[in-house]
Amino acid sequence: MEYFLQQMINGLTLGGVYALIALGYTMVYGIIQLINFAHGEFFAAGGYMGVILLSFLSFHGYMDTHPWWCLTASLVLSMSYCALLAMAVEKIAYLPLRHASRLSVLLSALGMSIFLQNGLMLTQGVYDKPYPTSFTHGGFVLGNVLQISYMQIMIVGITALLLVGLNRLVFKTRIGTAMRATAQDKVMSALVGINSSRIISITFALGAGLAAAAGIMVGLYYGSVRYDMGFVPGIKAFAAAVLGGIGNITGAMVGGFIIGMVEIMAAGYISSEYKDVFAFIILIAVLYFMPTGIMGENVDDTRV
Amino acid sequence: MKLFTRIILALTMITLLAACGAEEKKEEAKAPAILKLGSMSPLTGPYAADGNDIANGARTAIAIIKAEGGIPGYSDIEIFAEDTACDPKQAVASANKLINSEVKAVVGAYCSSSTIPASETLDEAGIPMLTPASTNEKVTERGLPYMFRICGRDDDQSKVAVKFMTDYLKGKTIYLVDDKTTYSQGLADNVEKLAAEKGIQVLGHEHVNQGDKDFSAVLTKVKAANADVFYMSLQNSASGALMLIQAKRSGIKAAIVAQDAVYHPQLIDIAKEAAEGVYLTFGYIDKEKPVYKQFVGKYAELGYGEPGAYSGYAFDAAYMVLTAIKKAGSTAPDAIKKELMAMNWDGASKSYKFMPNGDSGSNYIIRTVKTGEFANYWDPETGSLY
Repeated sequence: MEYFLQQMINGLTLGGVYALIALGYTMVYGIIQLINFAHGEFFAAGGYMGVILLSFLSFHGYMDTHPWWCLTASLVLSMSYCALLAMAVEKIAYLPLRHASRLSVLLSALGMSIFLQNGLMLTQGVYDKPYPTSFTHGGFVLGNVLQISYMQIMIVGITALLLVGLNRLVFKTRIGTAMRATAQDKVMSALVGINSSRIISITFALGAGLAAAAGIMVGLYYGSVRYDMGFVPGIKAFAAAVLGGIGNITGAMVGGFIIGMVEIMAAGYISSEYKDVFAFIILIAVLYFMPTGIMGENVDDTRV
Repeated sequence: MKLFTRIILALTMITLLAACGAEEKKEEAKAPAILKLGSMSPLTGPYAADGNDIANGARTAIAIIKAEGGIPGYSDIEIFAEDTACDPKQAVASANKLINSEVKAVVGAYCSSSTIPASETLDEAGIPMLTPASTNEKVTERGLPYMFRICGRDDDQSKVAVKFMTDYLKGKTIYLVDDKTTYSQGLADNVEKLAAEKGIQVLGHEHVNQGDKDFSAVLTKVKAANADVFYMSLQNSASGALMLIQAKRSGIKAAIVAQDAVYHPQLIDIAKEAAEGVYLTFGYIDKEKPVYKQFVGKYAELGYGEPGAYSGYAFDAAYMVLTAIKKAGSTAPDAIKKELMAMNWDGASKSYKFMPNGDSGSNYIIRTVKTGEFANYWDPETGSLY
């Protein structure tokens, strides 16, 4: 039982990360029907921005005196940085192709992904960059096996906070209403005075900001970042978004947690070798019986 | 008639041109020759750190030999450093590239899974290969005449690891994790077999995928098994660091024993205090030796910084094969082999005497991480601490 609970906590942590990345995929898909393959790179860029800021702060000694302030500042700064990066990417790579076929935009997204990843490699090097992890050890020991580390609490906590925040933003504010309107019908929403290209920009920025937060948390949790770290989680998060029903925000959250949980449980009860296999078997099985994902693709109210 | 004259004229010109070409070729051969040495290692990808260490170690040996007057009959020594990316297919392609560049010997590769196929290709061209880092037994057990191993062997490495577990740690139970490469799984399988023979109970043997970042599930298994010893067999020092951090965080109390592949400054840079107290099997290095000091000095002088785990072995490999060529006065593979076999070489990393199969003996000891640095810990010969 303890073992099961511990694996649950491990799965929740990993799932939180996938959920944060999956939201970006799903939001962008919801609004312009594009699978933004460059999205994983925002996650990596966020991780790198975090390591740069945190290393700078710890070099000047602020890390020892005000660790939580440093962490908050780096989180906010790298989220903003990635939001700006995503807006730039949208303007450069996707806006000129707004009326082109969907395949052209998809290729443009793939190209952007390769460009960003190689840019990261050339500017930051091919080696793993260590995070200043001095304050991330420790946790609550609840039994022989059961133990919750502060990092796991932090990841799940920040993820929950961001998810609630996003939900409120999308369903309770004017911007959120405009986003949902644009997603439903771009022409109609433009007719009632919504600046759709601004809304699309904001959607990209929001998604990338969440991915950046995931990037920093992954860096802190695992202790290092690498230029190609965005690829595998990007694929998994994409699978999570599809699993939950692409375009559906709640679906992406649910999908992220399911993929994370399945992976950990497969590793914990069967074998680590097969954890990816099981994650994708679940994906295929769900899509076979529910082709639009768990929460459905076309529920207009919840779709961004 | 005119046509006939033209044909004759054309033929004469072609013959002349061909003769010219032949003459040019002859002149090329007469020009002062450059001795070409190949190096194969992963210069990009997850093993880039070790790969560059190997290429730089070989470069350091060339720099020292050149400074000492080079090799008679050659105006220069040039290195061709090829990237294998630790990928068997790319390793074979690199080997073919080196054959086309007419290298006379190759230092490399890093991953055993690259060295094995690449050595078959090099063997067909009769080019000696000296591996500074591939420890899998199969490397020297395929009867290849020109295959030499500078580092130790995994069966010796696993013997030392198990001896340490029984004699020093007094472990009763063990849990093993590897990442399924020729090297890491071969080593873990050896340790598992030997440990079982020595009466250590094997509680589990898990495999993870290369490049995984999240080990929380498998580490929870390790923790639940509550083994005395946790044998961590990974190919990559960065993955090793991630596993150490997560092991510490999940509260695993077992003694962690790792091996030479994760022996890299990067392990400590990333894992920091989580790396403290981990045990590693690695070749004994006498840092007070003059030849080691000369190597470290030149290495730093060339701007490569601190030598990595395999720089010293690559340095010895390049130094020995170049000396063999110098002594033999020939680059014929049999002449090189004869000189190498006759050598009693005291190198930067260890003393070498090649055995008929191309092995040069192992000198594994247990090292540990202490206050952010690798330190000698336990001597398997005497069974005492350093």
